[in-house]
Amino acid sequence: MAALLRGLRAGRTLRGLCSVVSAPPAANPQCSGLTRGIHCAALRLQDESKSDKPPPSSSSTTHHEHYQTHSAEQASTSDPAAEEASRPNTSYQDQSGEQGEEYETEEQLQVRILNAALEFVPLHGWSMEAIAAGAETLDLSSASTGMFYNGAGDLVLHFVSHCNSQLTEILAEQHKQVQLGQAEQKRTADFLRDAVETRLRMHIPYIESWPQAMSILLLPHNIPNSLKHLSTLVDDIWFYAGDRSTDMNWYTKRAALTGIYNTTELVMVQDSSTDFQDTWNFLDNRIQDVVNMAGTAKQVQSTGEAVVQGLMGAAFTLKNLTGLNQKR
Amino acid sequence: NPTVGYCIYLLILERVFAAFCQTAHVLPPPRDSEEKEMLDRMLRVDHAGEYGANRIYAGQMAVLGRSRTGPLIQEMWDQEKKHLEKFNEILAENRVRPTALLPLWNIAGFVLGASSALLGKEGAMACTVAVEESISEHYNSQIRALMEKDPERYTELLQVSNKEFRDDEMEHHDTGLEHDAESIPGYWLLKKRYTTGCKAAIYVSQRV
Repeated sequence: MAALLRGLRAGRTLRGLCSVVSAPPAANPQCSGLTRGIHCAALRLQDESKSDKPPPSSSSTTHHEHYQTHSAEQASTSDPAAEEASRPNTSYQDQSGEQGEEYETEEQLQVRILNAALEFVPLHGWSMEAIAAGAETLDLSSASTGMFYNGAGDLVLHFVSHCNSQLTEILAEQHKQVQLGQAEQKRTADFLRDAVETRLRMHIPYIESWPQAMSILLLPHNIPNSLKHLSTLVDDIWFYAGDRSTDMNWYTKRAALTGIYNTTELVMVQDSSTDFQDTWNFLDNRIQDVVNMAGTAKQVQSTGEAVVQGLMGAAFTLKNLTGLNQKR
Repeated sequence: NPTVGYCIYLLILERVFAAFCQTAHVLPPPRDSEEKEMLDRMLRVDHAGEYGANRIYAGQMAVLGRSRTGPLIQEMWDQEKKHLEKFNEILAENRVRPTALLPLWNIAGFVLGASSALLGKEGAMACTVAVEESISEHYNSQIRALMEKDPERYTELLQVSNKEFRDDEMEHHDTGLEHDAESIPGYWLLKKRYTTGCKAAIYVSQRV
């Protein structure tokens, strides 16, 4: 039910829910849209042929016929409640966290495929082959890669957003610890360094192919999304570092951290020291630069104020001396 | 057992302290990204407006600070400072991005206030009337929008930021009128110019 509500709210015309896992054919999966119906039909066919569990042949044919009539029509809002809950969940559905839910949305399916595809990235790089290999480990046809209109971009963006959410979880946990008094609040510089290091370490398993991922993120049609992910990442880090500014500092801080993050990422992809020690040293130095710069800016400002005060005082004295200050 | 009693006492104390320290949540947690965007835009503009109003009064004080109207302007400025503080709190709490044009509003507001004050006390009051009228109108349209969507959900926001602040701005508007704002020659033209400027500023701040 929760999955249905989420799907509806996504604002798509996702009227039906598609379940392409090898569930017993007694149930009738419904797919929305003609193209998805065709995909689903293809998947079902492949599925049946590839599945290890021998589906009862009679019900499979009836299901298949039933399915074909359904795939052509525009699926009406399916009522999962009408489907009996007797369909046993496979282990895949349990792993996706939808305990007791028989249906999953297309988004959830895509997420599962992309997660599975990540382990093939060292082998195939960030490409459709990796996605296809991932789909195959889930007993889906490699034709299911047709769902990913952006191809490798989908995989990279998914990985980036997955890492960002992991980092946010870690930071939120640390924040909670500090609030409960179980940990000390780190200094801003240390906090930033730890946060950026934690986030960049998530790239280590894929570091060989990371330059390819970075170039994919720079493709024009991927730039809006990758910028969005980057800005949420930087905003999250600053928020948990305790930044609550509501003036231009909001922008300067985030710009500085974006610069640090991007340059450190670039250093990391060509770093060959043990455990990327050079990268972390670079990161330390950059953060130190920013801290120094902030300190210098403050000094400049207070010096400027003092100078202005001095000039005003001198002007006032002059006015007194020349008698201009007297009231006539 | 005194240790247990002491522990319980500490726990209760901690709860009370935590509750006391928690700022009242003016906004409900956003339901989805659309609502968050709408609220973000509203708060961004409100914050920019209060910031600009602050700078306008600062400009006016710079010129008229030592005249007879000084205390009056100072009083209105203090109220605006309170509004700005409240919005700073709300923005920080809800992780809303402040408008990128703040430096522009900083200078423009100060220049506007100072130039209007150079026209004399009536000029300053005319500027106050025009600006406060625009801001009140803006708050009113926000109140209307929120009431249309879901009055119960946004009760706190409506109460604190919009209704309370809008009433304060209307008060400033009336104070300006009381103090001979309309007696300046070219009042209508001046007022038109200020209100158009404010409308443009509001439009831009919503987006940038």
